[in-house]
Amino acid sequence: MADAAHAHAQAHGDHAKPGFFTRWFMSTNHKDIGILYLISAAVLGFVSVGMTMYMRLELMHPGVQYMLIDGLPNGHLWNVLITAHGILMMFFVVIPALFGGFGNYFMPLMIGAPDMAFPRMNNLSYWLFIAGASLAVISLFVPGGSGLTGSGVGWVLYAPLSTTESGMSMDFAIFAVHLSGASSILGAINIITTFLNMRAPGMTLFKAPLFVWSIVVTAFLILLALPVLAGAITMLLTDRNFGTTFFAPEGGGDPVLYQHLLWFFGHPEVYIVILPGFGIVSHVISTFSRKPIFGYMPMVFAMIAIGALGFVVWAHHMYTVGLSTTQQAYFMLATMTIAVPTGIKIFSWIATMWGGSVEFKTPMLWALGFLLIFTLGGVTGIVLSQAAIDRVYHDTYYVVAHFHYVMSLGAVFCIFSGIYYWLPKMTGRMYPETAGKIHFWMMFVGANVTFFPQHFLGRQGMPRRYIDYPEQFALWNYVSSLGAFLSGLSFLFFFGIVYYTLRHGARVTDPMYWGPQPDPTLEWTLSNPPPEHTFETLPTPDMWDHSKPH
Amino acid sequence: MNDQSADFTAGAGAGSIPPGPDPFGRTDAPMLRLTLWPHRSLSRRGFAWVIGLVASGLALPLVALAGSSAAWGLLPFLIATLLALYAAIQRSYADARLTEELRLWPDLITVERRDPKGRIRRWCANPFWVQIRLLDNAPIEKYLTLTGNGREIELGAFLSPDERETLYRDLRTALGALRLR
Repeated sequence: MADAAHAHAQAHGDHAKPGFFTRWFMSTNHKDIGILYLISAAVLGFVSVGMTMYMRLELMHPGVQYMLIDGLPNGHLWNVLITAHGILMMFFVVIPALFGGFGNYFMPLMIGAPDMAFPRMNNLSYWLFIAGASLAVISLFVPGGSGLTGSGVGWVLYAPLSTTESGMSMDFAIFAVHLSGASSILGAINIITTFLNMRAPGMTLFKAPLFVWSIVVTAFLILLALPVLAGAITMLLTDRNFGTTFFAPEGGGDPVLYQHLLWFFGHPEVYIVILPGFGIVSHVISTFSRKPIFGYMPMVFAMIAIGALGFVVWAHHMYTVGLSTTQQAYFMLATMTIAVPTGIKIFSWIATMWGGSVEFKTPMLWALGFLLIFTLGGVTGIVLSQAAIDRVYHDTYYVVAHFHYVMSLGAVFCIFSGIYYWLPKMTGRMYPETAGKIHFWMMFVGANVTFFPQHFLGRQGMPRRYIDYPEQFALWNYVSSLGAFLSGLSFLFFFGIVYYTLRHGARVTDPMYWGPQPDPTLEWTLSNPPPEHTFETLPTPDMWDHSKPH
Repeated sequence: MNDQSADFTAGAGAGSIPPGPDPFGRTDAPMLRLTLWPHRSLSRRGFAWVIGLVASGLALPLVALAGSSAAWGLLPFLIATLLALYAAIQRSYADARLTEELRLWPDLITVERRDPKGRIRRWCANPFWVQIRLLDNAPIEKYLTLTGNGREIELGAFLSPDERETLYRDLRTALGALRLR
């Protein structure tokens, strides 16, 4: 047909199917890149969970049984594992899965954009992330502190420990975080530009779906927080290698300054991890309650408020470094304020379910599990926000329990909720429902058995980051380890479910396979899986705007 | 077509126009003049707001660190981030710097497409013979094409389907009116 002044539209229509290598390794398609992010995050998650299994095995009984070197406890290995677990989970598993994976795949679909604004930059982000992850893994195997391999300074890389750790492992870890940061910043810029400039005509800011909002607020947090981390770890690098003294008191520097910089990034990072989860859960709860989400505008502004407040509360991680009473009072108050927007979200989710026709399908179970667990973690957060109480709890297992409740359980439950919710959309095949439910209950029970007893351990005074502990802590450590093994098993089971779904899952042809959507977003107008190119033309308001009759 | 302007009168099909002066240089007022361009959802005012908000957000740690050497350590990263965002949104605007201009006289119809890189593609024909079609069985929904002078061109492929339908009706009316004169 049209030989035409402009043949580009047909070019999209009938170009040849790309080969495997071209499709997956040179991909500029936001859906393929989203899937790549999810797969990579799953692989790295497997590595990182494997480390925790080893650590919980070691902590199962008092004394050191497994991490031995020449018959003596290998404390360095322990330190390396806690560091790697933190860095991998924070930078290379949870954020890539939620922000890189679901964000890439569904954000453009939901706003009716044909792809991201910069598809090739999207590809660059992904490969920077892979390069960073590779450096992080390499850092485990190159010479580090204590004459062994790997660096064991904790994921926060506090100076002066990180500036004096010998060997090149630390430098590899710093570069890993650099690359992951560059990847995230480029990804954030891409998402912000896409959202701002490529929404379908008529989709004003406050008509964008909640998941889109959650991804965009996250992108802004990344954009504002990650450069600070990049600057801070660059200064670590120059302190280590070029004799600067940003964080060395003997040269006029200040190690506490590093903590300020790290947590100025680190607290928003917590919300970077959880906000996309909020978005997913909003859609899941609405779908399975057969009701539109309760209080759309408060939900959006709660996310914006959580994002903004996240930047002014960082020093609640550092009550014990010698802040003045006034500073501590400010950070306490500011921190507790965050409970307000978070409460708005929790209550709006509950109100969405209220009077709805609730259906307990697997994604809904994960969302409800998230709700319960995140609220629990939030409440211990309020406890920890008190500077006086934090004196006692600082660096104990109470803190470990708290942040695993909000992140390990909170964010990870959101990831699983999203996977079960959208797996048929992404693959065109339905997962086995019963298996999904078994996975949920294994993980729910396992994770709670792992982390709830850690509150007790923290209250008894067991400090974090140690390879061994006295007899008094034996009981709850034993219980905690059993729970961890159950969760680990559930993760293996999950891989089995995904494999089964891909190979033998029933075909899903109905675009709205969860039944009629109360407030359908644009991805529900597309086939399962969506065609390679979606929305070559702009969608019209009646496809996504259900607020008015037409 | 690959050539840019030399070949504009070529073609043997219906609607070819006789050799003559450059049809694109025609200066008398056309009966109908339409300019089409792609949609961008961020207004210039919105752009200023975004850059302003991000700049003040990035400045927050600098305020806290003012006077310390660490502020200089952060500065390059903060500036680079802001510039990258600025450049990205500008680039996104530039990608939309795509126009199609249609002009219609009683004896001539011209379409001139200017793509983001400034490349110009042209088509002209005798409107009396031009066929306008709205295709549903095409790469995109409601694909709008014009046929004449031995070639078929697409029009407004970057618009929304509804907009193309309106465009189709307007053009069909205009071409129909022309033939009744």
